[in-house]
Amino acid sequence: MFPRKLTFLIVAALSFCIVFTPLAPVALAQKKKAPVEATPPPLKEDFKFGDVDLEVLEQADLLDVRLERDGLVLADESANAYVRRIGRSLIPQGLELERVSWRFRILRDPQPNAFALPNGSIYVTTGLMTLIDNESQLAAIIAHELTHVMRRHTYVHNRSNRKKFMTMNVMAAVGAYAPGGIVGAVIMVVTTVAPFIMIATIYGYSRDLEREADLKGIDMMISAEYPPEEMVNVMKLLDKDFEGENIRLFYNDHPSLDERIKYLSGYLGARADKVTPQMELHRERTAYFQNVEPVMRHDLQLAINAGRARSALYLAQRLVDFHADSENLFWLAESYRTLGPRAPQLTEKELTNSAKKDAAKKSLKRTAEEEERELLATPAGKDNWQRHQQMAEDLYRRALNAENPAPVVHRGLGMLYEKLERRTDAAAEYEKYLELSPSATDRARIQRRIETLKEKLK
Amino acid sequence: MSARSIVLVLLLIVSGSQQVHAQFIHPKIKSKETTIRTIVVLPAKVNVVRDSMKGPEGMVAESDELSMRVEKMVAEVLSQQKHVTTVPTTAAAASADGDAQQKYNVADFQSKFDELLPKIMKKRSDVKKGRFSMGDEVLNLNLEKGTDAVVFIRGQGKKLTSGKTAMRWLVGGVVPAFLQLQIGIVDARNGEVLLYTDPHFTGDPTTAVDRLRKALQNGFKKLP
Repeated sequence: MFPRKLTFLIVAALSFCIVFTPLAPVALAQKKKAPVEATPPPLKEDFKFGDVDLEVLEQADLLDVRLERDGLVLADESANAYVRRIGRSLIPQGLELERVSWRFRILRDPQPNAFALPNGSIYVTTGLMTLIDNESQLAAIIAHELTHVMRRHTYVHNRSNRKKFMTMNVMAAVGAYAPGGIVGAVIMVVTTVAPFIMIATIYGYSRDLEREADLKGIDMMISAEYPPEEMVNVMKLLDKDFEGENIRLFYNDHPSLDERIKYLSGYLGARADKVTPQMELHRERTAYFQNVEPVMRHDLQLAINAGRARSALYLAQRLVDFHADSENLFWLAESYRTLGPRAPQLTEKELTNSAKKDAAKKSLKRTAEEEERELLATPAGKDNWQRHQQMAEDLYRRALNAENPAPVVHRGLGMLYEKLERRTDAAAEYEKYLELSPSATDRARIQRRIETLKEKLK
Repeated sequence: MSARSIVLVLLLIVSGSQQVHAQFIHPKIKSKETTIRTIVVLPAKVNVVRDSMKGPEGMVAESDELSMRVEKMVAEVLSQQKHVTTVPTTAAAASADGDAQQKYNVADFQSKFDELLPKIMKKRSDVKKGRFSMGDEVLNLNLEKGTDAVVFIRGQGKKLTSGKTAMRWLVGGVVPAFLQLQIGIVDARNGEVLLYTDPHFTGDPTTAVDRLRKALQNGFKKLP
């Protein structure tokens, strides 16, 4: 049993922590009530670098090197230059930020995402660039990320987290030496519950920063003469869930998309003086697609590799609607071929949170091939498979009949015929592909397939 | 000696010891239908964090250094223990020189392993049934002729600061410093997962070189 005086001290210390640190639920509630219009200035001018911040900066620089070294950055100079131009146009003229060197890069990742490192590196994924409709939406994303850097959000967040972790550890220590009796039980309860409150405040803090980045992003778009309502439209696009993977968790570092759309619309209502005419947006969309078409094709390959066939199908269809050339038709055909027995869209039931959780658990238990086999054993799966293979074949044929047919179309047809067990046709298509693309990087793979097919034909 | 001291000593012994970990081998290796004599080790991805009283801190430079050390040591252990030769891959060489397409091929194949890994970890024993494969995309790596297998290395580790170490002993409930690896060996001809092993040890992952070697030696013990 602890002496009475010590017990009193422990309880007093705990009460102090709970009342005077930001983990108090009261503080949380107050944060949420902050008025939307009260946005801070674009820069955090009073920010002074400390040792902890310099450590974070060093990690960020190393991360840049790692992403580049690991082949995750898209080495497409014209696409990177395009993103760079948009980024530069958003930065206020003459702005010099201590220890920030602006870099805008495209990350080879089919998941729609973007992030900023505190050293000024802004990354936008190929998945995001393929999903959005126009340059203004890309500007909206970049403006949001620029705000994170300009307002030093990473450092602010890191400093705040460190304080909270420290409090959490002190509480754990106090909890471990809690006395018995009612006081001990109270301390145990407080020290057990506190980490949860702490985690909530950590993520709550992050949500506030995200909100700030959204609102400051709108201001930056207006300054750079981009239609600010595209910030809301890009949120709506991000709400699309083709693969059923956006699972809502209790803790989330971003406000919900509904909430974001709501407060952005509210903010915009007071500031936007015009809504861009449809025709202007359409022109912008065409220009955007022309600029990023190679990125979109690259992303389709990544999406197919990652088993994101439904996303690939949606994105490839958009690409074909824009420009039905041989290569784009090929990507649509590839999407149908890899979709196989899966339905092209998830049903409403499959898009519920519990269904998504179940699907995530199930996907851990089986490989893509096993999933395909299971689906093929069902009448709906068989039906889908036949329809999609037929669609794929028709599209490959269209791609071959288009102007300047791409050699890869033969490879796609070869793979389709191989699956359909039309071995002679498959081998012929593969040979045609290698004849037209003698220096293809997948030559060894296709050569092996031809050999295997010929062995089976003997 | 009090009961508390005995428990403390026992804990010290347990946390300091190296442990043998499960190895799962494809039936083709067991039956000697496939033998592994020449391998290519793809760049390891081992991440360590520093656990301090103020939360976890990144260690990007130390992680990169450790990744290279693990990569080299895997080659060394396999060479000394199993007489396996490690050859550089043309793709890996190209990635160092900056050939974008080859660099992408390696990156995409590494991503493919990252997607398969949770499924393997979920049911590791199924490697013994030959259930897992990465497909013939392995041939896109354009490996030297005669290469039998490709080695993938992943790992996570934690280093404790002195403050956190003190808290561990005073309060308990703190996971000790450790390194946990996941290593997959994949057939270079058809992408089948031939071996999966997950060696690990407790101790500072950035300095415990001997423990790392011992863990790897134990990890490949069953490989013929």
